Amino acid sequence: MSSHPVVIDEPGKRVLLMGNEAIVRGAVEAGVDVATAYPGTPSSEIGATFARIAEATGLYFEWSANEKVAFEVAYGASMCNQRSMVAMKHVGLNVALDVLNPVSLRGVKAGLVFISTDDPSQHSSRTEQDNRWLAKQNCVPVLEPSSPQEAKDLTRVGFELSERLGLPVMLRTVTRLSHMRSDVSLGPIEESGREVGFDWEGFSYRVAGFEKLFRRHKERHEKLDRAQAEFEDFEYNELKLKGGERLGIIGVGFSYNYVIDALRKAGLGDDVAYLKLITPHPLPERLVSKLLTSVDRVLVVEEVDPFVELHVKALAKDIAPGLEVMGRMSGHLPREGELSPMLLDGALAGILGTSSETEDRTDLEEESSKLLFDRMLTLCAGCPHRASLYALKKAVQAVKGDLMGVVVNGDIGCYGLAHAPPLNFEDTYFCMGASIGVSQGMAKVGVDTIAWIGDGTFFHAGIPGLINAVVNNTPIKVVVADNEIIAMTGFQPTPQTGRTAMGKPTKRIMIEDIARAAGVEHVEVVDPNDLEAAEAAFRRMLEAEGVAMVIARRLCATEALRAMRPDKPVPYLVDADACTGCKICQNQFGCPALVWDDEAGRARVDSTLCTGCGACVQVCPVGAIRISEVA
Amino acid sequence: MNAFRLVISGVGGQGTLLASRLLAQSAIEAGLPVKIGETYGMAQRGGPVMGHIQIGEGVDSPQMRPAEADALLGFELGEAVRRGITYLRRGGLALVNTRKLPPVEVISGMVEYPSQDSLLSLLKKVTEEVVAFDATALAEEAGDPITTNVVILGALTASGMLPFGEETVVNVLRESLRPAYFEMNRRAFELGKEGYVKALGN
Ligand code: SF4
Ligand code: SF4
Repeated sequence: MSSHPVVIDEPGKRVLLMGNEAIVRGAVEAGVDVATAYPGTPSSEIGATFARIAEATGLYFEWSANEKVAFEVAYGASMCNQRSMVAMKHVGLNVALDVLNPVSLRGVKAGLVFISTDDPSQHSSRTEQDNRWLAKQNCVPVLEPSSPQEAKDLTRVGFELSERLGLPVMLRTVTRLSHMRSDVSLGPIEESGREVGFDWEGFSYRVAGFEKLFRRHKERHEKLDRAQAEFEDFEYNELKLKGGERLGIIGVGFSYNYVIDALRKAGLGDDVAYLKLITPHPLPERLVSKLLTSVDRVLVVEEVDPFVELHVKALAKDIAPGLEVMGRMSGHLPREGELSPMLLDGALAGILGTSSETEDRTDLEEESSKLLFDRMLTLCAGCPHRASLYALKKAVQAVKGDLMGVVVNGDIGCYGLAHAPPLNFEDTYFCMGASIGVSQGMAKVGVDTIAWIGDGTFFHAGIPGLINAVVNNTPIKVVVADNEIIAMTGFQPTPQTGRTAMGKPTKRIMIEDIARAAGVEHVEVVDPNDLEAAEAAFRRMLEAEGVAMVIARRLCATEALRAMRPDKPVPYLVDADACTGCKICQNQFGCPALVWDDEAGRARVDSTLCTGCGACVQVCPVGAIRISEVA
Repeated sequence: MNAFRLVISGVGGQGTLLASRLLAQSAIEAGLPVKIGETYGMAQRGGPVMGHIQIGEGVDSPQMRPAEADALLGFELGEAVRRGITYLRRGGLALVNTRKLPPVEVISGMVEYPSQDSLLSLLKKVTEEVVAFDATALAEEAGDPITTNVVILGALTASGMLPFGEETVVNVLRESLRPAYFEMNRRAFELGKEGYVKALGN
């Protein structure tokens, strides 16, 4: 789609961009050649945007099998003089860490910028890990933009920096930046046009010699020194210091917004010195020292760990021993979680001994939380995972005599919601693919388990674990909740979908083929919406010797609706005369399209939500649910 | 001029994100800076969605403080009240769609959905300016419940609070929506305007 604002070639035009889209625009302006990603909130729109514009711009984009592969693909291109970008959520970098290390040691040829979208306060992640530590561990310079405009500009700058230094550069966002939208002023688009060719002198053992390439820790440190020197005069770092201020504030990346808003609200714009710090690593020590030696107290504001604060403390020890350093370590700001304008108002008021004027609404909020439900997350109407879980519970009850007869180890995806009511059938989930691994440790010591893993996650990190179970004779039972797509992050294809990121047909790699090739002898594929057949398949799996797998395959209901547009599904209905009001369809199955009609004391189907999947028909003990029209 | 601040609340799939984008695009057309902060986690799975839109100078953080919003666009009754009591300023305008989308706790019989009266009287502790109407019914009248977001945009435009005119919004609608959908959305917009005036009269 050439009309996407990310590819408009009108420098100076103001367009509305989300932080993640602005990153893609920055890459386009830098003439990026190759982009890769693995989806994960809050990063997914980066890849989704690349997928939309790749063809129009002539760049190459792929959703890679996992973050490590994504990083390697990008690195391969960089060694051949092509600018490359790789995007992932923060925990994705844990997966890619194994390759980040040699990339930073060996260096890059054409610019390589990787995006880590961190998630303070865990809006959609299991952790709020701060990836700046990983950048530090691997001597990688970090750029932390404060706005979509800067996200765009710094992406472009990041490519140049990466090339000048010969290091990969990390662009780090937080959820609030990735997902915020604002007006962004576009810059010129650079033609790619770099000559393709492997840099033999830079990377080849045969040409450059093994010894020269192998031990590079010293070179890496020297590159980082050069990065530090550049950051001392980096135009995006901004020191506002007139002299005579008692208090200084360092606002790092996105957190700078909170600082400025709080200062504006308190009317303190002129009385407090501040440093907007876009480069947390390596820390521009001379620049920071200017502030530290001019004030009595300094407050460091950043998300989510006290990364800069710790460095500032170390620095202050030498150059400003009397300075009070405040932040997350001193208790002036909370130790965990994202910040907010309110938190900064409060911190400033506490430090200056003033009062912050924001009206307190906690009493009303308490009243509302007493009155109002929380609105728990739930699987969509018609979700095939609901049917799978319903049938799986029946099978476990029948075979084990007790739903607690197995530990259900879940995994990362929509189906992770198996723990939610009314299905309540999941005990753990940890990280991509862990269901298959932890189930083996439990099985080895005699605890029965079910590994409950999605199709996308199986491809990402489930396969080595499955092979491990087979070769070690660990008889785990694996249910693949196969909705034929990576639904949770925005409906990206899996290797089984049969199309690339750009929608081009490609080979389908079937999970059952992989499982059989890995030596799993008991493999069945079943449609979960056929509850009876699914239950029978799950029973056979539970009773089988050795490693056994059932692939419960049916397309994600939401994707199915998207695919049939503008047509709509034919909804089901509850025959009010037949319905006995037993509520089984709600209390045990819980499709959001099955609502309770208080006045009638009967269940009712909300025809605007029903996806016409028909699974509930088999749940009703008196057969009161049927399709509304005969097709 | 102070920034115009707006909170949008609803449930995943209700088109709140599109409503925010249409308003922000209108602001850009009117030459004003704009910031949208969105909270949607796993909205696909029926979770709550909230957007903060701030139009005008002097705004850096995309998140507002409590009691700062000039207006609330509540796409779903319960969610409107949840966000309104936190973010709406005293005397701010609350536009509330009275349609309920019961969450799974209600569907599976764990709790009940509170009554409209109890919810709205809680909201009225913050502001008397509560304009409540069944926007989804108007959207159905326009041709598809999916246009609820545009009905609510019409109501907001009729309130006269926006720092730009109706024409700007309608132009953005025309440019942003596929031609096949524009007429239906145009109807939804008009019904929203009328709905606002009628609800004011009640
Ligand atoms: S047919 Fe039944 S289970 Fe399927 S979406 Fe409709 S109400 Fe839900
Ligand atoms: S998006 Fe698809 S897979 Fe995820 S809960 Fe909804 S229907 Fe199920």
